[in-house]
Amino acid sequence: MRKRSERLAVYAALILLTVLFLFPLVWIVGLSLKTRLQVFASPPLFLWRPTFENYVATLSRADFGQAFLNSLLVSAGAVSLSLIVGVPAAYSLARFRFLGRNVLFFALLSMRMLPPIAVLVPMYVLFSAFGLTTTRTSVVLAYTTFSLPLVVWIMRGFFEDLPRELEESAWVDGASRLQAFVHVVLPLIKPGLVAACILCLQLAWNDFLFAAVLTNNATRTLPVLMAAFSGGDTGVDWGGMTASGVLVILPVILFSFAAQRHLVAGLSSGAVKG
Amino acid sequence: MGGTSQVAAAGSIARRASVRRRQRTSWADRNFPRLAVLPTMALMLLVFGIPLLFSAWLSTEAWSPDQSLFGGTFAGIDNYQDLVTDPDFTGTLVLTLEYTAAVVAAELAVGLGIALLLNIDLPWIGLFRTLLIVPMMITPVVAAFCWKLLLDPDHGVVNYFIGQHIVWLGRPDTALLSVAVVNIWQNAPYVAILLLAGLRSLPHEPVEAARIDGASRLQIFWHITVPLLRPYLLVALLLRMIFEFRSFDNVYVMTSGGPANATMLMSMYTYMASFVRFDLSLGAAAAWMMLLISLIMTGCFIAIVRRREAN
Repeated sequence: MRKRSERLAVYAALILLTVLFLFPLVWIVGLSLKTRLQVFASPPLFLWRPTFENYVATLSRADFGQAFLNSLLVSAGAVSLSLIVGVPAAYSLARFRFLGRNVLFFALLSMRMLPPIAVLVPMYVLFSAFGLTTTRTSVVLAYTTFSLPLVVWIMRGFFEDLPRELEESAWVDGASRLQAFVHVVLPLIKPGLVAACILCLQLAWNDFLFAAVLTNNATRTLPVLMAAFSGGDTGVDWGGMTASGVLVILPVILFSFAAQRHLVAGLSSGAVKG
Repeated sequence: MGGTSQVAAAGSIARRASVRRRQRTSWADRNFPRLAVLPTMALMLLVFGIPLLFSAWLSTEAWSPDQSLFGGTFAGIDNYQDLVTDPDFTGTLVLTLEYTAAVVAAELAVGLGIALLLNIDLPWIGLFRTLLIVPMMITPVVAAFCWKLLLDPDHGVVNYFIGQHIVWLGRPDTALLSVAVVNIWQNAPYVAILLLAGLRSLPHEPVEAARIDGASRLQIFWHITVPLLRPYLLVALLLRMIFEFRSFDNVYVMTSGGPANATMLMSMYTYMASFVRFDLSLGAAAAWMMLLISLIMTGCFIAIVRRREAN
């Protein structure tokens, strides 16, 4: 139906946009594959023999390894805690009517919308009073409070889309509510779980603010280390900085691509279905 | 006659069965809905609710970290008064609101443009959909320091392309613009995804009807697509406002609020007050000002969500 020239124009616009949006990232990956001399070559090099020396150097740094491990532990902790606590709540909110159900849901939703810094100030004071600051636990707790509303919001939508008859027939067959939930409902909403999992993971892996305040040199996560690398002057080790940056963003991007369909469904379900 | 009694008998059997089943349901089953939300409620109350209340209290105290938890003295609204009469704070407030408005407008415009393009069904469109959302997945701190390198006055590729020597992050006017561009770059794709989902769900009939009536592309877009898309635009607008209002990571990495407070957004101000100057009472007051503004936006957002749920 569309004319050939029109289609070409659309492709041209799309390619231009993609180049514009991806160029910064491509350039950074390029920098990470250059030697120190090549990084500062003037005019900049557009073709060169890539070197992996920056990656080798980054991966052999002790602080990078420690921060990577911290990020992994904290993210895994926050994701599992959010899902274990949040998914049953979402199911309950989607399926059963009880007093305070709407109030609870909208209270959760508004907590998601509040600025993190506003909660961080008192959290910091209270956590230090209980000796929790500089521990990974404190960061896990902080992330969980921010991803819980997200989990409940997304999963509620997925549960509502599921036909009721399935678990009702399980109840009739004598299954308890919990059994029906675990054995009948959960296997059916795997896509929703994947979406919720990725979004929580992004939240925990990418956060800087909470980790910056609540961790120390031993427990800091990757974004905090990255900010320390780039603090003040950018220095001369651009290769090392960009290589570590690429290593930080790579896991989330790969993970998101692997489950892209679910991710888009999850991202838009919250906002579109309400 | 026989038929009715049979039905009645069947009914009574069913009733008896349901009574028996009700007796059989255990305490755990009857309270399942409440038990399932209990951990969420407890956790949110403990880690979120109590700190919020504590910070409300803290904001009315004169308290410093070397004092015991409740060792401060009551200061009433002094902290708030300090804030409102501090030109740095009022400047920050105005700057943040302006910044939020400008960045969100740009994100919506760019996002809508991308969404409209991605909505056209062409071969390979899936590839573009995948590639264009990459920026939103990048860790904000990493995005910020990468842009810091791109914008470097001496060796940055941006200055190389435009052939000038601009100290992007060192001048008040270009510093705020640079911080804004990074946010737009990261979040316009997110707006695009939200709006694309909206576009996909719109009915085809109105557009077809208008086309048959001879409406031009532009007319269809302004008079049919945009009004139909309005609820999605509104959600994207409010979500982005709520999230841009709290911008922190790229400001922290790229400029730390400088030069000359040109990029001192409210999150950065609150952070500096609380964790650099360690005036946690003043920080709590600033935090509550942010909370109140966020609550207004959140209220609008929830009103929209509720209205849609009612339909």
